[in-house]
Amino acid sequence: MTLTSPPPDSSEAPEAPTNRPPSMHRARNWMRRPYARSIMILTVVIGFILLPLCWLIVAAMNQSGAPASPIMEDIETTVFVFTLVSIPITAFVFAVLVYSLLGWKHVSGDEVPADDSPAIRTNTVGVLIWTVASSLLAMFLVVWGLMELASITANSYGTVSADEQPGGEKALIVNVTGQQWVWTFEYPQHDGLTSDILYLPKDRAVYFNVTSKDVLHNFWAVELGVKIDANPGAITQTGVTPNKAGTFNVRCAELCGLHHAYMQTKIQVLEPTAFDSWVRESGGGRTS
Amino acid sequence: MTTATSTLEASSSTVFGVEVPQPPQHGKPGGIMRHLNFGTGLLTGIVFAVAAGWITSALSSSSATNDTFAPTEPEYIYLAGLIGWVIGFMLGMGAFVGPLRWVTGRDLTHADAEYMAGKDLGIRRYFKFTTDHKVVGIQYLVVVLGILGLGGLLAMLIRTELGATWTEVFSPTFYNTIIGTHGIAMVIGMIVVMSGPVGNFIVPMMIGARDMAFPRLNALSLWLLVAAVVCLISSMFVGGIQDGWSVYYPLAAQAPPGMLGYQLTIIVFAVSTGIASVNLMTTILTMRAKGMTWSRTPILVFGVFAASLMGLYAFPFYQYSQILALTDRIWDTVFFNPVQGGSVWLYENLFWLLGHPEVYVILIPSMAVALEIMPVFLRRPLFSFNFAVAGIVGVVALSGLVWAHHMYMTGWAPAVNYPFMLSTEMISIPVGFLVLVAIGTFWRATVWTRLPLMAIYAVVFNKMIGGVTGVYLSDVPADQYFHGSMFVVAHFHYMLMGAGLFGAMGGIAFYFPKMTGRILDERIGSIGLWTAFAGFQITFGSMFVAGLQGQPRRVLQFDDMFNISNWISTIGAYVIGIGMLIFLAAIIYSWRSGEVASSNPWGSKSLEWQTPTPVPLENFAVLPVVTERPYNYGVPDPYEAELEAEDGDRTSDDRERAGVS
Repeated sequence: MTLTSPPPDSSEAPEAPTNRPPSMHRARNWMRRPYARSIMILTVVIGFILLPLCWLIVAAMNQSGAPASPIMEDIETTVFVFTLVSIPITAFVFAVLVYSLLGWKHVSGDEVPADDSPAIRTNTVGVLIWTVASSLLAMFLVVWGLMELASITANSYGTVSADEQPGGEKALIVNVTGQQWVWTFEYPQHDGLTSDILYLPKDRAVYFNVTSKDVLHNFWAVELGVKIDANPGAITQTGVTPNKAGTFNVRCAELCGLHHAYMQTKIQVLEPTAFDSWVRESGGGRTS
Repeated sequence: MTTATSTLEASSSTVFGVEVPQPPQHGKPGGIMRHLNFGTGLLTGIVFAVAAGWITSALSSSSATNDTFAPTEPEYIYLAGLIGWVIGFMLGMGAFVGPLRWVTGRDLTHADAEYMAGKDLGIRRYFKFTTDHKVVGIQYLVVVLGILGLGGLLAMLIRTELGATWTEVFSPTFYNTIIGTHGIAMVIGMIVVMSGPVGNFIVPMMIGARDMAFPRLNALSLWLLVAAVVCLISSMFVGGIQDGWSVYYPLAAQAPPGMLGYQLTIIVFAVSTGIASVNLMTTILTMRAKGMTWSRTPILVFGVFAASLMGLYAFPFYQYSQILALTDRIWDTVFFNPVQGGSVWLYENLFWLLGHPEVYVILIPSMAVALEIMPVFLRRPLFSFNFAVAGIVGVVALSGLVWAHHMYMTGWAPAVNYPFMLSTEMISIPVGFLVLVAIGTFWRATVWTRLPLMAIYAVVFNKMIGGVTGVYLSDVPADQYFHGSMFVVAHFHYMLMGAGLFGAMGGIAFYFPKMTGRILDERIGSIGLWTAFAGFQITFGSMFVAGLQGQPRRVLQFDDMFNISNWISTIGAYVIGIGMLIFLAAIIYSWRSGEVASSNPWGSKSLEWQTPTPVPLENFAVLPVVTERPYNYGVPDPYEAELEAEDGDRTSDDRERAGVS
């Protein structure tokens, strides 16, 4: 049938006669197919089975006391959100696999089976839905990632210099030096006080100048969510504001030779007064 | 030039009914090649290695200096020995006979070429510099199984050390050696596991060709691989590769002489890969059967072509990085020495410019084999062939633009983290296309539950997990926690082993009847596959947990909090080991005394299955002509028929099917 002009009042006619069923009608028909409904139900069931992973993953990350900084909180939120948005698509793929194994027909044996599968060479609607959905998902992940990256970058490097922190409080600077196979932490604002345990004050910005004396190391303050390579001949900078007192871990996350596994130490995040007394007791002299 | 005294006359041969003029025949067909085989290669290689080492030793001891910064004498001897080995081995194999005869004016005749292709040589052709693509394919399969076996053995040692949390089973030196060697052995093995055996044996037949475009280069690429692997193994006896498979500088500068073994392995392997890539690409571009347009070309051919293309542009970066590293070591250049103005970031960039395309070099052929298997066992066309091609093209296009996501945490250039995060997350779209094609092909199909297809379920399952965890790692904030942790290790094992190796196992099971003439024992093979699959989930599922808890990778001791996840991982690893041994037993048993296969046991419509088994020397007596799209299986969709009855319209596919059948 060829229409020479649009049918009058087509917007108001609820069931305008056309030569194809309206898309809703087709979708409803499709949902009536026995496998379609089963796969939808399976997807939901598998999705709910996978759902606890969102919390379990974060729980595993929190096992040794994380999150102890806004950066780590950002990281955990990101992981949580990514897990959540991955679940529907994962559940759908798993549902098709499961239904293929349990629902659709099977043949076994050595004989080549008869060609009785439907020869679907493509399905425009299905392909479009998949492409649009996966592109939107990727777009969401990118946008989310860029925003979170901007956020942790702001938290790491700060938007103001170390001397101009809000509240007149100066940021603490720690020079981190990796060498095979120990970490050394130097506090230049405190007469070059050095320590092999990283003492940090709570709720105060800390900047790390990270370098190495020999090979590549990676300064990983696990529960603070800080990670950056220690490169010989270069200083890399990052920073964090710890917001939880306690004992945390520094581990080397870049293979650095024989005793790489043992290149770890502790972080003590102290209340500001306790930190100041540690500095005085350790001979740090002038405090900030 | 004509010489009246010459008794040699120019002749001609009849090749497939065509008279081809031939150069004069010197002696028996094959000439010196009649006397060369793997044994002479080994012998010449060892003689050359010893001679080169001895000469270097004599020279360097006479000119010894007090310069303590110079490399020690054993380094020079070892390097000279390795170079001597590679040249001697290739010479002894007869790799240079063709060019040398051409230079001396005694070009190979048709009879010589047929001898080199292994005509009438029986089992001996597998131990020679044989040019027949089917022989090379089998040789690749055996070599790859050896490499993967070595890597697997080292993996068992790694897990033994990590499982025994109460003690150090191995010294840190040996532990670092096994993680480095495991890494590079598995990477080499996985790069060639599908492109080697299947790419060489199957692809020429699949496109309806009689051999590869450059048969002698084909043999050269294989034997260079063998030479390279011997270099790799030798490194374990001179200090080993203690710096992971990425051998970052400046740590690698501290390494014992074993590092030279690594560098030479990579330099030689890159040549082998380059040759193989050019050969496969030329074959695919120029030698497809008449009528095999791109839309009639099976998806595996696209996959192998894509892998070759990525290998061709990516491997030179790796090769250069190792050449520069070698000169740093031997001649005190300072490309990667930060103290004297070199750059460790330069090394990292060169390395990852290979390192990331390399994972697609591994993955794409395995995914393509999976997509090749599915239509045959589901008896239906591949769902949305064009999307499968688009997915492969998309992966190739993006593969070279994502390498710096391995360097998010290096501090090299924090600003480039933004674009690399974008490109890395974009790659999930074309990879998603491949998943769509897979599940679309499963959709409503009758499942023929044979081993090759069942492996694909494992592949798609693992690929989803690997893909989702890869999204975390592509994201800079999340990577700030996961980089360098066991989470990364678990993720890439899901991709390379879970999707890559299980796909390769399916591929081997699928092509086994054509390659060996026997069916891979389904029962033993399935037990092996599913045991390995179960162990795989245990090992790497638990390793994800260790990574989430914060365990760095490449450590041999760790905090007590990681004990439980490591114990579980180790138990799982032994289960994988047992499963893989069972699968290997199935291969060996079936190869020796399995059920004899018919020429087309799966009822496939692809060209490679239309040849007799065993495949004759030149595959097709008459070259085939392709007249239809691949994967013409199945019946018209009954639901579509319903809709058509309503619509009174016919889809283009139906018109095509009517035209075909």
